[in-house]
This record gives sequence, C-alpha cells and structure tokens, in this order.
Amino acid sequence: MNNKLKHNFIIYLLAGLVFIGFGTQQNYAQTPKKNSVRLGADYFKIMNGNSYFDIKATSKIDKQTQGVAHIDIIVSNIIDDEEKVLGTVQTNMEGIGRFSLKSLNLIKADSTNMYNMKFSFKGNDAFKKASKSVSFKDANIEAKLITKDSIHFIQATLFDANLNTPISERLLNVQVQRLFRPLRIGPEFNSTDINGTILVSIPEDIPGVNGNLTFEVVLNDSDDFGTVKALVKAPIGIPIVDESTFDERTMWSPRNKTPYLLLILPNLVIMAMWGLIIYLTINLFKISKP
Amino acid sequence: MEASDKLIQDLAPQKFGKKGVIWTISLIIISLAGIIAYIDQVIKGQVVTNMNDYALWGIYISNFVFFVATSFVGAVTVAVLRLTNNTWRTPIVRVAEIISLASIVMAGITIMIDMGRPDRLLNLFIYGRMQSPIIWDVIIIPTYIVICFLLLYFPLLPDLAILKKHFAKNSPRLSKWYGKFSLNWSGSEKQKKIQLKSIHIIAILIIPAGFILQTVDAWLFSTLFRVGWDSTNMGAYFISGASVAGVGALVTVLYVIQKAYKLENYITEYHFDKLGKFLVLTCLIYLYFNINEYVIPEFTSKKEEITHLNHLYSGQYAPLFWFVIIGGLIIPIIVLLFKKGRKPLPMFYIGLLVVVGSWWKRFLIVTPTLLQPFLPVQGVPESWHHYFPSFHEWIITFATLAMALLIITFLVRYLPIVPIQRTADEQEALKTNKQLSS
Repeated sequence: MNNKLKHNFIIYLLAGLVFIGFGTQQNYAQTPKKNSVRLGADYFKIMNGNSYFDIKATSKIDKQTQGVAHIDIIVSNIIDDEEKVLGTVQTNMEGIGRFSLKSLNLIKADSTNMYNMKFSFKGNDAFKKASKSVSFKDANIEAKLITKDSIHFIQATLFDANLNTPISERLLNVQVQRLFRPLRIGPEFNSTDINGTILVSIPEDIPGVNGNLTFEVVLNDSDDFGTVKALVKAPIGIPIVDESTFDERTMWSPRNKTPYLLLILPNLVIMAMWGLIIYLTINLFKISKP
Repeated sequence: MEASDKLIQDLAPQKFGKKGVIWTISLIIISLAGIIAYIDQVIKGQVVTNMNDYALWGIYISNFVFFVATSFVGAVTVAVLRLTNNTWRTPIVRVAEIISLASIVMAGITIMIDMGRPDRLLNLFIYGRMQSPIIWDVIIIPTYIVICFLLLYFPLLPDLAILKKHFAKNSPRLSKWYGKFSLNWSGSEKQKKIQLKSIHIIAILIIPAGFILQTVDAWLFSTLFRVGWDSTNMGAYFISGASVAGVGALVTVLYVIQKAYKLENYITEYHFDKLGKFLVLTCLIYLYFNINEYVIPEFTSKKEEITHLNHLYSGQYAPLFWFVIIGGLIIPIIVLLFKKGRKPLPMFYIGLLVVVGSWWKRFLIVTPTLLQPFLPVQGVPESWHHYFPSFHEWIITFATLAMALLIITFLVRYLPIVPIQRTADEQEALKTNKQLSS
C-alpha cells in the first residue's frame, strides 16, 4: 500500500514537472519587441520591355538601418477604393524584392490616368505591419539615332502615354551602356523642349564589342512618371578587337593547350637523357655478368 | 709491404675516431630536431614560419637554391676535368661526386619542405603544366639525382671489388656488401671497356643536365616579372654562382677529409693549388655577372629596380649584401691570386667563407625582391616589409644542412675517398711511362 502511494506520488510529481515546463515559456518568456518596417517602392518602365517595381523593406534595429530579409510584400492595384491584389514578392537578404508587370494593361488607372499601387506587409513575430502607396502616370520615350553631316545624334521624345502629349521641361539622361555602369554623354542637363524632345550628339570614339553600342535615354526617378528608359542599339562605336588567347596555345593556357614547341623540345631532351640513363643501367647489368 | 697493399691500406675506408663519432652524433641530433620541427610544421601548417603574403618564399627556397647550386660541383669539376683530360683531378673527383649527390638529394627534400601541403606532391605530376618552370624543376631534379648517382657509382666498381678482398678477413660482412655492389667486377677487358665508355657518357651527360638544372632554377625567378629577378642574365649568373658554391664546398670538405684521414700524400698542396686557381676563376666569372646584375641596372632601371638596389646597397640588407660581395667573392679572389693563399689551410678558410657567402647570396636573391612587390597593397602590416626566419625555419634548415653533411659523412665512411684503382693505375703508368686512358 505504501509502495503504491509512493509510486503514484512520483507519477504525479513527474507529470506536474512536465506541465510546469510547458507553462514556463508562456508565463515567463519576454514578449519580443517588434520592429517597425519602412517600405519603399520605385516604378521602372523599359520601353519595348517590361515594367517592374523595385521594393525595399528596411528597419531600424539597434540604431542601424538594415534591410528586412525574407518577408512577403503584397502588391495591389487601387482602383476607386478597391484593392486588387496582383501578387506577392519576397525580399532577398538585402531586403530588396522586384515585382514585374508583364504589361501595364494588367493594372488600371483612376479617372485622372494615375495608377495607384499599394505595397503592404502583414507583419510577423519580429516586425510590425507596414504599407506604402505609390502613384504614377504612364509615360513613353521614343528614341532614335539620327545622322546629320556625318555626326550621330540621339533624338528622344518624352510624352504622356495616355494623353499622347509631349512632356516639356523634363530632364532626360543620355548614356551608353558599359560593363559596370553607364557612361553619360552629352550635356549634363538635357531638358525636353516644348515638343518634349532632346537632341544629343554622340562622340565618335566610343568603343564597343564589334562596334555595337547601346544607348539609354532615361527619365530618372520622376515623381509623376517613375523611371522610364528607352534603349537604342547602334553599330557606330569603334570595334573592340578581341585579344583573348583563350583558345590559343600560350604560356599561360591550361595544360591541354601547352605550346607544341614546349611539349616537343623538353620532352625530346628528357627522353634523350633518360634513354642514356637506361643505356647506362643496362651497362651495369652487362658488367655484372660473369 | 707492397706498394699496392700500402695504397689500399691508406685509401680503404676507416672507422671513425672519437671526433668522427661526436661529429656524426651531432649531425644526427640536429637532423632529428629538424624532423620534429617539420612534423610540427606539417601538423600546424606554415603558420609556424615567418613567411607572409609578401615573403611567400623564405629561407627554404634560399636553401633549396643553395643545394641545387652546390650540386653543380659534379658537372663543373668531375666532368669538365675528365673531358679536358686533367689528370690532377683523381684524388678530388670522388669527394666532388659525393657532394653533388648529397646536395641534389637534399635539394629535392628541401623543396618538399616548402610545400604547405606535401601530401599533394603527386598533383604536380598529375596536373602539372609544361609551361611552368616548377614542372621543369620537378623533371630535372630526379634526372640529375640519377645521373649523379651513376657518376659516383661507375668509377667505384673496381674499388668496391678491391675492398671486397681487403675486408674479406677482418670484416666479412662488410666484404659481402662491397662484393654485392661491385657487380662481380673482375677487371676484365670487357668490363673495363663498358665502364670507361659509360663514364665518358655520364661525363658528357652531366654537363647539359647540370646546365639545365641551374638554368631552370634561374628561370624559376627570371620568368616572374619582379625587380631583381626579371633579368636575361639570370641563367648564366646562376651557373657561374653554382660553380663558386660547388668548388667552395669541395675545397672545404676536401681539407677536412685530408686532415681526418691523413691523406696528405694523396691530396697534396698541388691539388689545393690547382683547385685554388679553379676557384679564383669561377669567382672572377661570378663577380663579372654580379657587376652586370647590380651595377648596370643602376644606370638604366626604373624606379622600382633602383629602390630594390638601394635596399641592397644601403638598406636593411646592406650588411649582408656587402658581406656576400666582399667576403664571398672579392676577398677569396684577392687571397687566391697569391700562391700562399692557395695552401690547404688558407684554402679551407676561403672555401668556408665562399660557402657561407654562397648560402647568404641565395637568401639575398630570394627575399629582398619579395619584400618589394610591384603592386604594393595599402595599409599592409609593417611586419610584411621584413622577413626573418622563425625558429622552425632555422632548425629545419640547419637539419637539411646537417643531413647533407650526414650523407657525405656516411659515404666517406664506407667508400674510398681517393679512387684506389685509378691511383694505382696512375702510379703504374708513371713507372712505365705509359699514357693512361682518361
């Protein structure tokens, strides 16, 4: 009887300890303080290409602004107080995500031809919810290469896509694509005229692979239109001669591309030497014969 | 006692005396200390050395280049003197052959010590590129080791047969070994003919092999676009420097052996005089190349080269540089130009000076250049601009030197230092006024 009581007591004690264990975390763990998230979104449009939004989520943690990684941002189109969800995008390690729009027809503008977008984060255990709204109008840039008196120019016209009217007094950058970052050409400020047009002369000495150059005409980070970029490809550069010796037999190539002379000559010398060494070894055997 | 018996009695290997035993034990202890230090280096990695991102080649490579240079003595004395029919070479050639073999074997071992991952040695053969001078070195060193061995072994055959007979009564075990290695040598006409022909081939073969070895060693440096190395002079400069190091080592070892084995009747003042003249010639040639290497660039070179040269003339390596030039070359030339300077004892000191100078010379070829890269990285630690070997590096280096001396010591202990048969033939030829085949 005593034994049975003791046995039961131990079982209850163990069970109690288990339940205390379960409760401990909830009862005593500190509720973590959630950090605020700041969302930023920029609209980009590449003429004859796709459009996209670059979204960045940041948070101030320990007095330092850091990107918020791996959070889902919901992208919506606002039409007359109605919110149409287009999809979600997850941020990368730097807190950056890109949401591509295959066509601008997928979203609708309001009565003033303004597209209203909303980017929202629902929040999680570590971060509070956040949202950001972006509004923009659709603009187009038409750019082309023209030649006058053997001088090449980039002519570009900026106009409102919905109204089809030129947009004047906007700064457009003209630049040529390079390996690391584009090279600006022409005057520092190219403001569109009353016809929404700029004309920038192209220097003659820009090198390009096979002489091909890709020019960019960019309306950069406009409050009304976002960033709009038109590309013009033109074979007017100085051709870069490819001096790569990748497929040649050189002193710096891998072992399967050793120069023939370096294969033949040393191997002949080595073979001659070892041939004589073998001959001398045979002589040792000859000497050892009684 | 017959003349031939006396000759064998004088020239047969002898047991070490007390000094010889102490010498051998000391070398074994230093070698063991080096092996322990090397094991520690393999376990901990090359962090135990003082090499860094700038001085990525240190004392090991200097030591390797020194061994390679010293091994040239086989080609420069034995082969050249044989092919030019200089009969005075007889008592010195075997020591030269032994030094060559010991040095090139240790050169092969030293280069492996410099490898951070010696277990990947085989990769050099599997993945090596023929364009790399390192692969040329990997090929020529084993070849040269084999040639040096054959250069020592072929002329030994008659002497081994003599020693087999000589030790038959007193030391049958030793006699048995000599018998095995003498390859049934009976001195028949056929055997002599094959032997002479083979020795002649080796004497010719070792010269291009030695030149290739030294030149490849030079190209390890000159194919790199670095101040102090980027020179078309390098191949010839290394060959002349190797002649100095080799003959210097030969003179030093020869004197010690002459005294230890009391061989004054065989290794005479005449031989030292001849070697002295030979050494002064090599020193003069090397001095000429040094002038080409260090003086002419002062007039024509760009800033980096001038900085490098000033570093040597008056910078942190100036004392060492001037010791090497004055002590290792100019003083030997001056002393050896006088007949009194070519006596055995002064020759021993000069030989020693030349060897020490040659060793430091290799250090000066390797290190100062590395400390002055073409693209200096900003903000590098001050310590990267200096290099002094660590305790591990010193002890391993001393051990390799001790091992080379140990190989020489053991070969001297068991092989006749002065060729017995050749000396007997020469004495016979003198008596009968016959011309002896070279």
